[in-house]
Parts: sequence; C-alpha cells; structure tokens
Amino acid sequence: MSRTVATDAEILARWKEEPAPLLPLLHAFHDRDGFLSESSIRGVAETLRIPLADLYGTITFYHFFRTFPPGKAAPRVCDGPVCKTRGADALLAALEKDGATPMPCAGRCDEPVPVLIGDTQFVGAADGSLVERETPRPAPRPDGGEECVFAHVRDPARRGIDGYLATVGYAGLRRAFCEWTPERTLEEIDASGLAGRGGAGFPTGRKWRAVAEAAGGPKTIVCNADEGEPGCFKDRVLMDHDPHATLEGMAIAARATGATRGFIYLRYEYPHTQAILENAIAEAEAHGYLGADVLGSGQEFRVYVRRGAGAYICGEETSLLNSLEGKHPFPRNRPPFPVTHGFEDTPTAVNNVETLCSVGPIVARGADWYRGLGYRGEGHGDHAGTKLVSLSGDVQRPGNYEVPIGLPLGTLIHDWAGGPREGRTVQAVTMAGLSGGFLAGDALDVTLDEPSIRAHGSFLGAAGIMVFDDSRNMVEVAAQAMSFFAHESCGKCFPCRIGTQRLTERLTGAAGPADLDAWTAEVADIGRTMKATSACGLGMAAPLVAESLVRRFASQVAAHVGEAGERGGERA
Amino acid sequence: MSERQHTIFLDGEEVPFRDGETVYEVSERHRREVPTLCYDPRLEAFGACRLCVVEVEGLRNPVASCTTKATAGMRVNTRTDVLEAHRKTLLELVASESRAAAEAPAGAVPGTVDPLRGYASQELATLASRYEVSGERFAGAKSGHSKGADDDNPFILRDYDLCISCYRCVRVCAEREGDYAISVANRGFHTQITTEFDSKLSDSSCTFCGQCVQTCPTGALADKKALRKVDVPGELQKTRTICPYCGVGCSVDIVTKGEEIVAVQPAMDGPANEGALCIKGQFAWDHVQHGDRLKTPFVRGEDGELRPASWDEALDRAAAGFRKAYAEHGAHAIYAIASGRAPHESAYTVQKFIRAGFGTNYIDNCSRA
Ligand SMILES: Cc1cc2nc3c(=O)[nH]c(=O)nc-3n(C[C@H](O)[C@H](O)[C@H](O)COP(=O)(O)O)c2cc1C
Ligand code: SF4
Ligand code: SF4
Ligand code: SF4
Ligand code: FES
Repeated sequence: MSRTVATDAEILARWKEEPAPLLPLLHAFHDRDGFLSESSIRGVAETLRIPLADLYGTITFYHFFRTFPPGKAAPRVCDGPVCKTRGADALLAALEKDGATPMPCAGRCDEPVPVLIGDTQFVGAADGSLVERETPRPAPRPDGGEECVFAHVRDPARRGIDGYLATVGYAGLRRAFCEWTPERTLEEIDASGLAGRGGAGFPTGRKWRAVAEAAGGPKTIVCNADEGEPGCFKDRVLMDHDPHATLEGMAIAARATGATRGFIYLRYEYPHTQAILENAIAEAEAHGYLGADVLGSGQEFRVYVRRGAGAYICGEETSLLNSLEGKHPFPRNRPPFPVTHGFEDTPTAVNNVETLCSVGPIVARGADWYRGLGYRGEGHGDHAGTKLVSLSGDVQRPGNYEVPIGLPLGTLIHDWAGGPREGRTVQAVTMAGLSGGFLAGDALDVTLDEPSIRAHGSFLGAAGIMVFDDSRNMVEVAAQAMSFFAHESCGKCFPCRIGTQRLTERLTGAAGPADLDAWTAEVADIGRTMKATSACGLGMAAPLVAESLVRRFASQVAAHVGEAGERGGERA
Repeated sequence: MSERQHTIFLDGEEVPFRDGETVYEVSERHRREVPTLCYDPRLEAFGACRLCVVEVEGLRNPVASCTTKATAGMRVNTRTDVLEAHRKTLLELVASESRAAAEAPAGAVPGTVDPLRGYASQELATLASRYEVSGERFAGAKSGHSKGADDDNPFILRDYDLCISCYRCVRVCAEREGDYAISVANRGFHTQITTEFDSKLSDSSCTFCGQCVQTCPTGALADKKALRKVDVPGELQKTRTICPYCGVGCSVDIVTKGEEIVAVQPAMDGPANEGALCIKGQFAWDHVQHGDRLKTPFVRGEDGELRPASWDEALDRAAAGFRKAYAEHGAHAIYAIASGRAPHESAYTVQKFIRAGFGTNYIDNCSRA
C-alpha cells in the first residue's frame, strides 16, 4: 500500500470551497473509513457550519451512509420487485456471512440481481456467485424504426468524445451557441413538444423559458440522474454509453436559460457511472464544449457530478435541491418553484437525463423531425417524439426500448420483447415503474402515451414497466411495492408517512381488519386521503398500487384478507 | 381610499387580505377554525399535518392553507364534506401511531394527556374529540421510542411514544431559540426526534429553554417539574405575570391548583417573549414552595449565632443599623440589592424604600441582565 490516506484536514480542505460540498465530503470520509465516524461528522459540521444535530439527522436519512462499521464494505443486495422473483432472497442468504443487507431496486432489472459491494456493482445469482459486467446495451429497435436518444448508443466508440463527434455529437450545442439565439432554441424546444421524461411530463420549453425570464442568478441546470423509481434503468444506459449526450443537453439548456453552472445528481447505486461522467466532462472541457468560455461564446458553463446516498425521494426535484444544498432532504413547499427559487434560491431548471439527451438531436435535426418520430399507426392521433421504456420482469427479452410515443403496449410486450415466458400469460404490468400501480385485463390494450394510460387511472411517468405473469401472487407484489414506498417516504407529511405504513401492513397482513369490507374501506379511505392531501408525488402516487390491486384483483385480495384473518390471533 | 383592496372568497364570503398573507391566516381572522397540528403561528409554515387543506376553485387537489398565499380573486372552501372526511382520516391515522391515542380506554378521547405536560399538549385530543376520532381504526405499529431513563435530565421528558412527527419542536428550537439542538433522524414511519449522535439533551446544545415542550401538540415532550404535580387535587388555574428573573420581562402564566404552584408556562401573547422563556423562567420555581425557606426572621446574638426572632425585634435591629450607617457615613453609604427570586412587589418596595427613605439611588437587582 503505497497510496497515502488523506487526512481529515486534507479532505475538508479539498471540498470546503466547492459548490454543493456536503455530499462529496461525506462520501470522501465514507470511502476512506468505510463509515462516518463521530469525529469526521464533527469536522464536516464545523467546516460547513451545519449544526451537529441537523447533520446527524440528515446522515441518518440516507440509506447508504453508515455511522458504524462494516458500513460500506457489506454487500447490498437488490430486493426490488423483479429481483424478488429472480432469487434475491436466496442470494441475500448466501451473502449473509459477509453482512449483506437488502437495498431497494438498484436499476438493473433487465439483468437481475444487482449487488453493490463498496463502489462496484455486480450481477449476482441465487447461488451467491457474482460477476462484474458493463451495463447492457439495448437491442436494436425491433421494427427498424428511427430513434432519437438511442440512435448511437450501441456504438462502442460513442462514450469517448471522438466517437461522439464522429456521430454528429455536439452539433446541437454548436448550433445553440454559435448560430442561434437563446430565444430561437427555446422556440425549437417548444415546437418539438418535448416534455419531461422524468415522470411529471412538464413541457421542457416552458420550464426553460421560465428560468430564462426569472430574475437573479447565477442560474443553474440540474440533471436529475437519481433514477430511483423501481423498474427504471433507462438513464443508466444513456449515461454509461452516451455520456456526452447528457452534457450536450445540459449545455444547450444553459445557453437557452443563461445558466452558468450545472450539477448531475447521480444515484448512489451507479458508482461506475460517476467516473464515466467525470471523464466525459474533462473531455468536453478540453474541447471547449464546457468550461469558462463555451466555444468562444463568452458564456461560462461548468458541470459538477454529485452522488446521492440512497433515497428515492431525492429524485423529487425539490428534495434533490435540498440534498444538493446539504439540507435535510424533505421536499419543499411549492410555490415558489425551482424555476425561480431552485438551487440556493437561484433560478434552476431540473431535467431528467433522458429529457436532456433528447435536446441535442432536436436542436441538430429540428423539431419537425423529432415530432415525426411519434407513433403513426392506424387510428392513432398525433403523437410527438419518443420515450424510453425500461421493460422487465416476466418477458422473454427485458431491456430498454425507445418506443414511438403512442405505440400499443401489446406491440411492445409481444412483438418487440417476445411476450411472456413459454406457457405463461401476462397477468399484470406496472406503470411508471411502481408509481402508476397495475394495469391488467382490458387495460393492457393501452397505448404508450399519457392520455391513453391516464384514462385507465394510471400514468406512463418515467416508463418503467414490470411484467408479472399468471404464476405471480399479485397481493405479494403489491405488498413489496408498498413496502418500498413506506421505506422511501421521507416522513415530512402525515398522510404518506403513516399511510404507506398502514397500507403495507394491510397488504402483508401484519395488521388490519379481518373482515373484507372493513379492510377494503380502510384501504380506500387511506388511499383517498393520501392522493388528495400528500405533500409530494410519492404520497400521491403510492396508493395507486393498492387501489389498482383492489380494483383488478379482487379475488386475490379476498383470499389474502381471509388468510390474514385466520392468522389474526398472532397479530398485534 | 384610492388604494385597491384585494379580496378572496372564503366559503362564498368576500373578505380582504393583506399582501403576503396565507389562506390559513385569512381563514383564522375570519374564524373558520381550520384544524392544524403542525402549525405554530410563530414558525415558518411547514405543511406536514395536511389538516389545514382547503379547496381552491380551479385546482384538482386540495392545498395546505398554511403554505398557500392568498391571491386576489381566489375562491376557497374551508369546510366541505370531502375536506372534513380527509381531516378525520388524517386524525385517525395519527391517533393510530401514538401510544396514548391508540391505547386510550374505551370511550376516552384518543390522545388525552395531562395538561401539565405543556401549553399545547391538548391539541391532538381536542381535535380527536371534535372529529369524533375512533382510536381503533387503522391499527398497526406504533411510531417513536420514548427516552425515559435514557435521558435523565431534570426538566424535559422525551416521551416519543406520543410523538406524531410534526417537527414543531425541531423548528422552534432552530427558528426561535437558535440552538439547533434537536433534529429529525431516519425517515418515513421511523422518523424520530434526535439530538447530535442521539445523545442526552444535557450533552447537546440544548439550553433547556422549554420551548419545544410548550409547542408540542401531544405532550410527547413534557415538563418534568410540572408532572410531579399531576396528583395534586384541584382545577388548573393560570395567573398572568412577568418573569422576575431578568430585565427582558417575559410574560408567564403561573399555573396553580388551589394554593399550590404546579407549573410555569410562557405566555404565547407576551409582547417581549412571544412564548419564549429561558431555563430559569421556565423551570426554576421550586424555591417558592421549598421547605427550606425561612418562615420567621432571624437576628444574630452576642455570640455571633443566628436565632429566631419576632418581626418587631428584627425590624428594630435593621432600623438601628441603617440609622447608624446613615448618621456616620451619609446616604450614599447605603446600597440595596433585591433578589430576582423575590416578587416584583418586593423589588418595587425595596427601591422605593432606598430612594425615598434615604435619598440615594444606590440600588440594584441581581437580574439586571
Ligand atoms: C417521489 C419522486 C421521485 C422522483 N424521482 C425522479 C427521478 O429519479 N428522476 C427524475 O428525472 N425525475 C424524478 N422525479 C420527477 C422530478 O421531480 C422532476 O419532475 C423531474 O426531474 C423534472 O425533469 P423533466 O421535466 O425533464 O422530467 C421524481 C418525482 C417524485 C415525486
Ligand atoms: S408525500 Fe411522502 S415523500 Fe412526499 S413529502 Fe409527504 S411524506 Fe415525504
Ligand atoms: S429546551 Fe430549548 S434548546 Fe433545548 S431542545 Fe427544547 S427548544 Fe431546543
Ligand atoms: S415531540 Fe412533539 S413537537 Fe416534537 S415532533 Fe413530536 S409531537 Fe411534534
Ligand atoms: S397546519 Fe398546514 S399542514 Fe399542518
């Protein structure tokens, strides 16, 4: 061991003057010691002038920070909904001797079961074997249609800047900085119909315009790379195999809004991605696409990568901003919105990775081209653009697919992904990862666009779709889903903090009425109040799992309540 | 009268509002009795309990009135059947997580705790009664872990089995006291009020001002000194006065049962303190009723020892001493100091006696802070 270990003072000095220093500081200590010791926490509190109690509480919020050994060295095994069906429990048992504990969906549902040890993500099997592998590249688009964000992602050279430039990379950036006015860029994005791909679907052009028009600065672009929604692993493939596309989108956003700094908030579970992004940033700076004076335009734009520490709620944009700022990551009350009061109260555009990756091609090739990528099948309306779908679970060919918006779900599952496993039928699919609850029966006829899916009481959102065939117990799946939301509820507001817990107990049978009508009434009342009164999208969406289960799988629910009732004597 | 007055429609009634006012503040002024649990008018609105939700025409979901600013022309409904149903569900949920609420005997109002726990301790029980909350619905795990013997400080009971995670304590400590002694650990159902490294309050930056106790709406934080008096018979009575300890002049209510002082609580409407106190004003009142207090005057005998005496004898002795000092050294040789533990009336009398009686201004008080 010739590498010298950094001292506390060196670590503190390294980050003290950097923007958004708390997370990297904590990671630096966590990496060095394997956990966060009392003395390092005291050092951080003093250096950043954060009250100790506050910092201590904030650290306990994050799933992956440990204040005691073995901490970081202990394996974390994904027990997300798909991994549960692929031997996660057996794998966890096999690794128990090393202190393994479960982690929520780690974003590799196309290749279960991910295991995180230190800063390496492995793919594990039920027998306990582990292999390290690159993020899988998507299969070629099955119908041969044209793609936007996946157009070059399968090209192995694309990760480096030479390969990126060779495949028309940075053409959009060049146009936005050297040919077009910011207004012209805003108009093009407006015209493309691009809307947020992170879940909420807010029109991107409108968001940017609000930031451009907002008073104050310096303005900020935040790339939301938290990808915490179970069943979503699309941003990961974009960043791992096409990292410059994200940077190009951020820089164009900066040009359109006047922003001078950018952050990529990367989820903890993608450790290798940080190095890929940082390498791409260095390349882009060396070529003048980022830095003090982008392409001689006179505009500065610098990008910093900040790694989360395990909290789904930090994907919610205001919670993310609090996390970046080193505050307790509760979501903020809105208004004011981030477009006027974002990072450190400056005008901020928060955009998803996929949204940003769409921007370069749109500026380079035009809004009409992008709109034209939407689904044009018979009897279908005017759908603009494409959407990545992360498809996983009980299908022959799980993976990421770039679909034309409006594609029938059945086409994706059966024609593109090969349908269910031999001899099985599709019982249900989740929507929006888990947040959209379940579709089943007739509702499987939806097309992949918001109006169609919303008509069935769900939403497309970030477009994670998990397939469950007829061998699965849907009550169990729902219970796991709800326990995810309970685990990830931030605890700020009453309906979600208590509601996710009570719904989990009712779905697992740990508590709740033994009488079906009383059970159903409690679940409905909790869900109704959560949807209407929760302070953020997590609590509003979580009850959809229970609601859609009760609506579509009434007999499985009745059987569950009956069985739970018979065990009732043991219950608290 | 040229200035345009902005208005909103509150349950159909057109009412004016001031710039920056929230819908909740307007509703309060017009006595809508919108329920709240995480609200304390002295703190920045936080939006946790969601009881204050109201319907705003044009919006799909109800909004928290405490965090929503009034805007001209807004049409707000504060009490529809749907809202009241949500409020009842929220209260039943919150009752189900608390030890006191969930284990209330049949027929008792869930959340009932002794009012000596603190100023705001009745808020949950009051709402539970108003909304006829059942303690049985939504049964399940309880949240929070009481500290009990793990924090043996003499002032504040940390009975987190009753905590409903409204974070008023954390916010009052940060926003009003500026001590940042407590914070929120963990997340979701497992949130727990903590100090740095989950230590005792006495090992934290807590100054034992008691503000967290007095804003807690459930009694999860409770006044240990007052809790000693739970079994004293009699109705609680409050007498408004000013804390004698220092020159700030915090308004307090002396809480009594019969002739006995059982607690001190800050006056939320005290102009100097708005509900704040310090450790002395809040907790240091035992001396008033302490058994060691002198009940008769003492004078020193020839042998130098103190012995009990009558008031006449003691006053004669004191007067003789004053006369001697005045005659030999003049008025300015006399200097009086009053104790901060004496009543205001005594302090007043002392200065009057020295100023008018001897003609000197050499007076002071130990609480000249
Ligand atoms: C509970 C919750 C989790 C979220 N997680 C993510 C996420 O992991 N990634 C993301 O891009 N957006 C996430 N969002 C949506 C963001 O709040 C925000 O709308 C989005 O990042 C905006 O970018 P876009 O307009 O490009 O989609 C989440 C929202 C909620 C309520
Ligand atoms: S809805 Fe859930 S996650 Fe969102 S603020 Fe409330 S408790 Fe936190
Ligand atoms: S007693 Fe005062 S200083 Fe101590 S925790 Fe409570 S509010 Fe903070
Ligand atoms: S201790 Fe009291 S004031 Fe603090 S969060 Fe709990 S219920 Fe609220
Ligand atoms: S008073 Fe508004 S949310 Fe609690």
